[in-house]
Amino acid sequence: MDEQKKAAFRQGNIVVLLLAVLTIAEFAIAIVNGSTVFLFIIALIKAAVIVQVFMHVSRLWREESH
Amino acid sequence: MSAYTKAQPGSHHEAHDEDRAHELPYATQVRANRLGLWLFFISEFFLFGALLITRFYLWNVPGVGQTRPELSQELGLITTSILLLSSFFVYRGETAMTFGDRKTFTQSYLLAALLGLLFFVGVVVMEWNLFGLTLNMFGIEWFGHLKPSDGVHGGVFYMMTGMHALHVISGVGLLLIAWNRGRKGMYSVERHWGVEGIALYWHYVDVVWIFFYPALYLIGKAV
Repeated sequence: MDEQKKAAFRQGNIVVLLLAVLTIAEFAIAIVNGSTVFLFIIALIKAAVIVQVFMHVSRLWREESH
Repeated sequence: MSAYTKAQPGSHHEAHDEDRAHELPYATQVRANRLGLWLFFISEFFLFGALLITRFYLWNVPGVGQTRPELSQELGLITTSILLLSSFFVYRGETAMTFGDRKTFTQSYLLAALLGLLFFVGVVVMEWNLFGLTLNMFGIEWFGHLKPSDGVHGGVFYMMTGMHALHVISGVGLLLIAWNRGRKGMYSVERHWGVEGIALYWHYVDVVWIFFYPALYLIGKAV
């Protein structure tokens, strides 16, 4: 139980670090060339990570309540 | 897991059970709530998607391409980071409640609400510059200068940030309600849909901003 909790917290830490890196990458890309395609792809990756990890979208297809 | 179990015939719980007989088991309720909330997100996607399309259509200038208003890049990055951080604390709080850690839950949700409020202040008070202030500190313009009347740039910017800010402030209110209920011990490991529902809503608001941030601050030529 404690290990599961630690693992879940660790996953959150990894995701927030990834989001921070991608946000800085967005900022840097905008300064360098402002490529709409690159910026849109980064936004899609960030959104997908949040939907998958933070929003637990897979729970929609699972049977248990919490 | 079923939260509703039928009472034995003749017991004093029987009459009360008959009153609740229409209720679905808690697990079924949660699954239905979850599906309903995701359907609500899909309907909201049409609203925010339409705003994004409006931005790309109206800020496209023939011969120039995509444009954007001159905004404080640093302020945009700071407010975005604050919102992402608040989403992290909501995840932390929800995870804590899943494992019965009420203290971490209440701390995380309160912190997330405060960060959400800070984001709201960053956009509405500072970026909109409600009070007409000017401050240049550390090389950063802390107050915006764009007005709603500044052509398509002003109109679209205020429409997009305004609609998003409305969701943020309602999310802050919901986070505080969940925090208060959690503080009073009204959630448990088995029953905490209120915690999960507001977490989903808050992350959705974050996802919307993930697309709004590059669209408003980064994409196109500043004019």
